[in-house]
Amino acid sequence: MKAYFTRHAQVFMRTLGDFARSPAATLMTVVLIGLTLALPTGLYVGLLNLQRLSQGWQPRGSLSVYLKRGGADAQAVAAIRRVPGVATVRYISPAQGLQEFKTTSGLGHMGLFGRRNPLPGVAIVTPARPGPRSVALLAGELKTLPDVAHVQSNLVWVERLDAALALGRRLVAILAATLGLALVLILANTTRATVASRAAEISVVRLVGGTNAFIRRPFLYIGALTGGLGALCALLILEIGLIALRGPVAGLDRAYGTHYRLAGLGFGQALTLLGLGALLGWVGARIAIARALRQGEV
Amino acid sequence: MRSCRQNFSVIELKHVFKRYPLGTEALSDVGFVLGKGEMAFLTGPSGAGKSTVLKLICLLERPTRGQITVNGQELGRLPARRLPYFRRGIGVVFQDNRLLNERTVFDNVALPLVVAGMTGDEVRKRVLAALDKVGLRGRESGFPLALSGGEQQRVGIARALVHRPPLLIADEPTGNLDAALSDDIIDLFREFNDHGVTVLIATHDLRQIERLKKRVIRLGAGHMLGAA
Repeated sequence: MKAYFTRHAQVFMRTLGDFARSPAATLMTVVLIGLTLALPTGLYVGLLNLQRLSQGWQPRGSLSVYLKRGGADAQAVAAIRRVPGVATVRYISPAQGLQEFKTTSGLGHMGLFGRRNPLPGVAIVTPARPGPRSVALLAGELKTLPDVAHVQSNLVWVERLDAALALGRRLVAILAATLGLALVLILANTTRATVASRAAEISVVRLVGGTNAFIRRPFLYIGALTGGLGALCALLILEIGLIALRGPVAGLDRAYGTHYRLAGLGFGQALTLLGLGALLGWVGARIAIARALRQGEV
Repeated sequence: MRSCRQNFSVIELKHVFKRYPLGTEALSDVGFVLGKGEMAFLTGPSGAGKSTVLKLICLLERPTRGQITVNGQELGRLPARRLPYFRRGIGVVFQDNRLLNERTVFDNVALPLVVAGMTGDEVRKRVLAALDKVGLRGRESGFPLALSGGEQQRVGIARALVHRPPLLIADEPTGNLDAALSDDIIDLFREFNDHGVTVLIATHDLRQIERLKKRVIRLGAGHMLGAA
């Protein structure tokens, strides 16, 4: 077992040595892979941020219950709370509503409404059971309450946003699959060139009794390491992009009074990307070396 | 008698034919036996088929027809996955020595041991012993291109013998060397033979054949001309 790990460690160190001997070629391949991986990863991070942002806007599938003006809002809210299927109720008084409107619209300084507040009291209801059917049933029930003027479901735009995000996710998946294939081909081609430059070495190793696994090993390390380093490069590109976007996002944040911060990949996701890069590199190298090994068989 | 001979033969070729894809008949009905501990020269003019015989013995090529047995293994029945293990039983020396120039002398000689899964002190001990035998102790950290032609050939021989194979084959090992160096190299082969290694050397160097007075297998245009 010790001998097995020693052999792998030796091959790994030799691979690092090979990289060090041709730094320019290695760097170019790594950056190419980095750019290839950065595109779908960047789009994925963009989608994640959009999803986070949309979750902050409204409770998913909530109902806005507009109360009759001049009615007893406290009694109306109490009646809403008693309706079966209601999980939580958040009451926004007409004054709070006006203040919120002034803040988010940026029209507060214009004194549009004078001293008169035209807004009704609103109860934001979170259904106990999410889903279009339950929410629609609950909306129907709330409409029958005497102090309720109008019930508006927020589910429609949530569904639309979800559909748009699902489309985005599918596009990212297609792009990732296409670029992943491109990456495998890039690495297969790189490995094939390395195999060709080491044809003499391979024939000697064969002659002294090297197995296919032994011959394959250094090339698999080259593929996996190049892919892994390419993924690391993609993470760096992504981080630089996020740093570059942080300023404009902060400007938007200030303008809208939200508390949103751009998020990058988490530790687990970054590790997954590194693993994926290494795996794709390994696959590319394996394809290239398999062909070379077949050609040398008797 | 037959079984007795099989037990003691290291190489046995029976009615071996080899035709290359373009139609060249490299060997035609070649057959000979080399016993355990024997040393023989395989000789003949260029194109006689000497190198083809050596390639068939270490299974770099397969015969078109005929039967070859090496180290007790009938090569026609050897599955592809066993091929590397079979080759570990043969030491091969080439005229152009086929050293890896970007690796040190030590790494070149250690290659058959590393390939066989050996690591650590045992590798070091065996490599230094092999270099000692070929008179290159102390040169292990150098690179092949810094050595003379004769020294490079010695490194090739050390690599062929470091894993102690029972059979050593050499293809024109003195082809690029002057007379004095050629004598040194062939004497090395004789020393190994004296220690029980079976040796087959393909050469057209008649001076060496005359000097050593060992067995001679003669080929001409792919045919056996005689096995004295």
